[in-house]
Amino acid sequence: MLLLKLRNIYRIYHIGKVNVHALNGVDLDVEKNEYLSVMGPSGSGKSTLMNIIGCLDTPTQGSYELDGMSIHKEDRNLFDTASDDQLAYIRNQKIGFVFQTFNLLPRMTALHNVELPLIYAGVPKLERIERAKATLEKVQLADRMYHRPNELSGGQRQRVAVARALVNNPSIILADEPTGNLDSKTGHDIMGLLSDLHMQGNTIILVTHEHDIAERADRVIYMLDGKINEDNKKK
Amino acid sequence: MFNQLYESVVIGFKAVFQNKGRAFLTMLGIIIGILSVSLMGTAINGIDNVFDDTMGMFGEDVLYLQQFPWFMGNTEWWEFRNRPQIREEYAAKIAKRAESISFASVETNRRVTLTYKESSSEGVDLKCASWQSAYIDVAKIESGRYFTQLEDEQRARVVIIGSEVKKVLFPNVDDPTGLKIKINGLNFKVIGVFSEQGKIFGMFSIDNMAVIPYQTSKGVFGRSWWLSISLKVRDGANKEAAVDEVHYITRGLRGLRPLESDNFAINQQEAMEDELGKIKTTIGLIGIGIAALSLLVGGIGIMNIMFVSVKERTKEIGIRKALGAKRWVILIQFLFEAVIIALIGGMIGLGLTMLLVGVINKFFVASMSIGLVITAISVSIGVGIISGIVPASQAARLDPIEAMRYE
Repeated sequence: MLLLKLRNIYRIYHIGKVNVHALNGVDLDVEKNEYLSVMGPSGSGKSTLMNIIGCLDTPTQGSYELDGMSIHKEDRNLFDTASDDQLAYIRNQKIGFVFQTFNLLPRMTALHNVELPLIYAGVPKLERIERAKATLEKVQLADRMYHRPNELSGGQRQRVAVARALVNNPSIILADEPTGNLDSKTGHDIMGLLSDLHMQGNTIILVTHEHDIAERADRVIYMLDGKINEDNKKK
Repeated sequence: MFNQLYESVVIGFKAVFQNKGRAFLTMLGIIIGILSVSLMGTAINGIDNVFDDTMGMFGEDVLYLQQFPWFMGNTEWWEFRNRPQIREEYAAKIAKRAESISFASVETNRRVTLTYKESSSEGVDLKCASWQSAYIDVAKIESGRYFTQLEDEQRARVVIIGSEVKKVLFPNVDDPTGLKIKINGLNFKVIGVFSEQGKIFGMFSIDNMAVIPYQTSKGVFGRSWWLSISLKVRDGANKEAAVDEVHYITRGLRGLRPLESDNFAINQQEAMEDELGKIKTTIGLIGIGIAALSLLVGGIGIMNIMFVSVKERTKEIGIRKALGAKRWVILIQFLFEAVIIALIGGMIGLGLTMLLVGVINKFFVASMSIGLVITAISVSIGVGIISGIVPASQAARLDPIEAMRYE
């Protein structure tokens, strides 16, 4: 089943009088339960692509469908795009983010951090806590749920972030350099966790510049100058 | 929806309490603003409350023919003091000629000391009034009676005392009528006691007084200066017409030519009301001025601190938006923070006002009302919303990618 469908995506930044073509006509299809790695040098457009897939950014041109919903639609000259609040809703319901810098809220416990997406989804308190606890157990952090991020190790923080990404049962998990701030052993553990999630049926898109990490995925795309340069599917 | 609202409120509260010192300093402007609004309010309330008591002393349909007007400037006083005295015989003449006047009483006041056995009451306001005052004065008699026309004309040594005087002279006597007290060394028989009237402006008791017949006072004290003539407007007569009539007759009595200005004053309760109105307006304007200024400064302070708060929490806003927080959720979160700061400031201001009202009441009047509390609270909420809306909508509009990159 086709989960992501990007067609002819352009993203042009206007910096002063210069137009920077971060994305230069990207076409991409991602199936459900695929494990996809995005590689490429800095400035190749992989972060911009992730932001557009994650509904954090809006393309200058092109159409994007996620899980059957049309998010950006190019109909001849008419460019139709979702509003800020609609994008927030889609992010909340369909997308789980794992960031390089974890991006946890420092003053809240691990549990409350995991609860956040459920709060914005309007889930009642008791159900929310139950689901957040269950998800923290899934990432083996049941005994740390009342700790704040500064009381957790880097690997534990990233596990909290993974739990937060999972808690609302998203269609897709977007991991942007998830091991970038971790030592190799902890990074290895997190990659193991992502592989487990993939085995359980989740769709994962991973941005990395490390080959051995990218190789864990069953499909690797290489980006260059805002375009997909190579698309390798493993058997 | 309710969950998210609740969450926003909680976050707003936490944000305030995480920066207590900063929040308190920000509140100062609001505290001072609300303090001045509500102090002004309590003073105006207080004046309103005593207004009726004070007016009760002066009859509603009584005119006072006197040498001086009740309210005048300092320079005028030098002019007025050279006016001729009000004369005793005016009373009878006005009562006879003026159709709209039913009774006229000559009155004069002096400070005396009353004694009964070992106890004495000093600084008593002794009113010497003609028998007609029985039909003009509004003070009620609790026990005993007023003096009669005969007693006045025969210069009887009778006295009606105020409740304060009774308390001092006769602490253990239930009904002092019939007992003799001394005024200026002369015996006077107590024939009545006035009921308690309270205090004007919470300052002077109007019960520390006594009344004796005017003719009696002439025998005891000799001729009095500063006479005042109280004139009762006939029931059903127009008060303004009565003033005109008395004015015309008095000019005649004084032999004033058409172009000469008055050398007497006809006072009435309205003058008091006007003067109180002026005091109220002045207090109101000063209070509103101080309040507006400090609320403005306080509001700017809150706005400033909210901009800082938004800046400090840019990354947090970015994360929240990435996780699905809609614009209004972020907006409400910061708006609540501003409103909570302003509201706590307002509450502190109200609390201080309540404390101060007790102190003020010792030398002036003040009273709290529920309307005042509601006004103060709504003003603080309003200031919070007005000063929070710009920073909050700035926060709500942040781009999540940019915001998450902010360190």
